[in-house]
Formats: sequence, C-alpha cells, structure tokens
Amino acid sequence: MGENARKDKAEVEVPVGLLHPAMLEPYRARFFVEDEVIVDCELTLDPYHKGIERIMEGMPVHKGLIITERICGICSHIHLWNGTRAVERGLKIKVPERADYIRVIMAELERLHSHLIYLAHATEVLGHETMCMRAFTLREDIMDLLYIISGNRVHYAVPILGGVRPRCDIDEYRLSELETRLAKLKIKIGDYANRVVNDSMIMSRIKGSGVLTKEEAIKYAAPGPTGRASGWGVDLRKKMKEYKNFDFNVIVLDDGDNKDRVVARALESIEAIKIIEQALESLPEGPISNRSFELKEMKFSTSYIEAPRGEIYDSLALDETGRIRNYQNRTPTLTALAAMEVACIGDQLTDGMLTMASCDPCLACTNRAIVVENGKERIFTEEDVKSLIRRGL
Amino acid sequence: MLKKISRKNAIHVMLFYTGGCNGCDIEVANVAWSPRYDLEQYKVILTWNPREADVLAVTGPVLRRTIEPLKKLYEAIPEPKIVAAVGSCGVRCGIFKDFGGELGDSDEVLCRVDEVIPVDAYIPGCPARPEDIIAGIAAGIPLLLER
Repeated sequence: MGENARKDKAEVEVPVGLLHPAMLEPYRARFFVEDEVIVDCELTLDPYHKGIERIMEGMPVHKGLIITERICGICSHIHLWNGTRAVERGLKIKVPERADYIRVIMAELERLHSHLIYLAHATEVLGHETMCMRAFTLREDIMDLLYIISGNRVHYAVPILGGVRPRCDIDEYRLSELETRLAKLKIKIGDYANRVVNDSMIMSRIKGSGVLTKEEAIKYAAPGPTGRASGWGVDLRKKMKEYKNFDFNVIVLDDGDNKDRVVARALESIEAIKIIEQALESLPEGPISNRSFELKEMKFSTSYIEAPRGEIYDSLALDETGRIRNYQNRTPTLTALAAMEVACIGDQLTDGMLTMASCDPCLACTNRAIVVENGKERIFTEEDVKSLIRRGL
Repeated sequence: MLKKISRKNAIHVMLFYTGGCNGCDIEVANVAWSPRYDLEQYKVILTWNPREADVLAVTGPVLRRTIEPLKKLYEAIPEPKIVAAVGSCGVRCGIFKDFGGELGDSDEVLCRVDEVIPVDAYIPGCPARPEDIIAGIAAGIPLLLER
C-alpha cells in the first residue's frame, strides 16, 4: 500500500517509538487512526542490525557458533543449539543421548523463563502490575536453575559440536537440586497460570482484541505460540528426534486474539515443566560428548528448531578447513510481528500496543538480512518479507 | 543540602538499548523492577522519560543507527547526570568488535559507549549480573550528589 493511500484513508497518524514504555525495545510502529480505531499499521525495524552473519563469515566453526548465542539474550541456548545442530546434521556427527537430554532440559527451562518474561511484559502492558511482579518472582527461580546447570544467567553456552560442555553435565547434586526446586516451581507456576487464565479482570481487557485468523497466521507464517493460538497447530518439537521420548501436549487454541496468545503461553509453561520432569526422571547414563568427528567440507546444511517464540532457521556451510561460509539465520519475531501488523487493524488504539506486545517480540534478534544494491544498503524489513511472501517466494 | 536529600530519594534510571542482545537490558529492568532485587525499595526507579532521568544505563555497542539517538538522549537528560555502561558490549563492544572473521568487523558496529558520551560507571559481565548492576549504580550515586 502506498504512502498516499494511507493518508487518504486515515485521519491521524500516531507514531509510537523508537523508545516507548510499552515496548521496551526500539522499533517504530505507525498507527493510522480514525476515531480511535486503527485502520492501518506500519512497522519499521531498523536500529538493531549488527551484521552478525558478516562477522561470522570465515570464522572457525567452534568460535563462530558462540556468536550465534549472542544474537539474542532471551533465547540464547536455542540459537546455539540450532547452529550446532545444523553442523551436526551436515557432518553426520552422532550426539550421545545424555547430551540430547541435557540440551532439551536447558531448552525447556529457557522456554519457561521466556514465557514468564512474556507474561510479565503482557500483564504490565495491559496494566496489571501485580501479575507482572509475580511472573518476575517466578522467573528468578528459573534463572537460579539455569545458573546451577550452566554457571551463567544468560548465554549458557551448553551445546558444543558433538555433545554438551563438561561443565554443564547434570551430576547428582544438580539433579537433586533441580528435582526439589522444580517440584516447588511446578505448584507455583500452576497457580500462576491458573490465576492468569481465570482472572476475569485480565480476560475482559484482552478478550476479542487483536484477532489473527488461522488463514492470516498461515499467510504470514506466524510461528510458534502465536500461530498455535490462532489454531495453526504446528510444533516442530513433535517432529524433532530429540523430543521423541517425551510425552507432551501441543497447545492449540482457536480464537486467535490477545487472550489466546497469553493463555497459550501460560499453558505451555506447564507442558514445559512436564518435559523437564520426564527428562530428569529418565536421564540416561553415558558420555556427554562425542569427540570422534572430523571437520571437513560441508555442503549447505539447514536446521529448524522450535524456539520459545516460534521457529528459528539456521543454515551454513563449511569449507575444507572448517570455517563458516554463508551463515544465515531467521528468527521468529520477523514473521510474528509482521502478522501483528494485520492483527491490530480494526481495534482501539489502546489495544494496539498490547497486540504488538502479545506476539512476544524480540527485536535484538530480528534485524537479520541486509541487501546491497548498487553500493547502497537496504535492510530487509517485514514489508519486503511480506512482499516476498505475497509473491510466493 | 535540601537538594541533595530530595535527589537521593528519587533516583531515576533510564535504560537505553544501543544494540545489545537483550540480555543486559532484561537484567537492568529485572534489577529495578523485580521483587528479588527490588531497587525500588531504595527509591531507584526505572523510567522511560529522559527529562526526569538521573542515571542513563546504556547497554550494547554503539551502532550506526543508534549513535544519533544516544547523543540526543544524553543531551535531553538534565544536569546532574551519570552514565553507566552495562555489560561487556557497553564497556568494550564485547563480542561484536575486533572479533571478525575474514571480512573483519561489521560496519554497523561503530564504537564503545565512552567514545560517544562520558561514562562514569563501567559494569562488566556478559550479561552483567544483577549484583554488579546494583553495585555500579550505587557507586555512581555519590558522584550524582556531588555534581
């Protein structure tokens, strides 16, 4: 849609950002408003491009994969896991079962803390600060668990090619600590999720706003919990071989409004605890890393993984000395936030920011692609991606 | 005297993301808000308005697209003010500078925070631990009262 069409259609433009209390991260949203009803919305996600792919070009693979972790400070483990997984798939490195279990435990703990940040953020944006504080309190307990396993609060650096790092092995002390603390946490998170889902005050605020239909979710490829809240039941965990031993439900809800996106995360946290409990119960004995592999030339290898916020796509190739070539990465917010651009149309302006926050945006990871045309750089924003999607690419 | 006392009772921290990975940002917000570390009980308040801020916490290396907003923001904060560079990226650009592969550094990552605006407190760590953030901001408060 051209600039003039927007001006004809809307009375007032309400720009939000770059810095705004409701979004905590710099991006710019332009709401085109008529009688406080949003008729159109446009997002600009420029400021965060760091060029990580470029830094990684030609770097030794062990060194380069660590940078993938620094793409995002919330879902850092899953980025490193996915990069490692892409190399492991390409070079056919066997990963011991115990290592897979430890990676799954970390990923699910991370999902818990990401979902709790989301619930804290969402309840804070809609104005319920008590729930926000309760979510932050619960999150600290999970950060302690992550600290016990890895020794850091964020950027755990658990996966390494062929297994996990020795310092992240789950020994007896860690196992007993995890089990006792998780049992307490399970009750607390259950209570919290129950309270969020059944709180009439929260529900009346978020019900029916920001509706994303299933067709729109598929069209914009809104991944993960955002798509699942719209009835698009795709969960990559069901397809991954690492998760095949675990029994868990995929939360699929039908309404596709802000309420469902909040409820889906609340219910998913309970499922995540289920997976961790099963993993701790049946943690197999054995080695945690496989050192017998050779770094050799690898053709283009890809990997998809289910991050807390959606799907992460990583692809890279290695040359004959084991250096990274053509690393690419796509993070879930890129498509999820693009879907929110259509979800907020037709709502009140006050619900607009809530809708934006309800897809769990993480802007640190999102600005990925840059295109150089005739010496001029152009950042790939959602507009471009959407036009690519429309053209069927 | 009166000014000092009243200023001590309402220290506003403003957080600005110049382009980190979100790790430190959440830790700062966590320190100021969340009940475990709860800086609000000592009347240190997180704000998003530069006009009422006393402390500017900057996370991340300065990027090409955030250098101008950072300068503007620094000028918008009234005197006296202190600046805290949080995290390895704020202190030394962390992993994003002087670390490149064959193509070298990224053009987007420009410089450290203290090459753009004067920095009073350096809080290292990747991400900076909550205890360190509290210690860093607490170390800056006497500077704030003297100025």
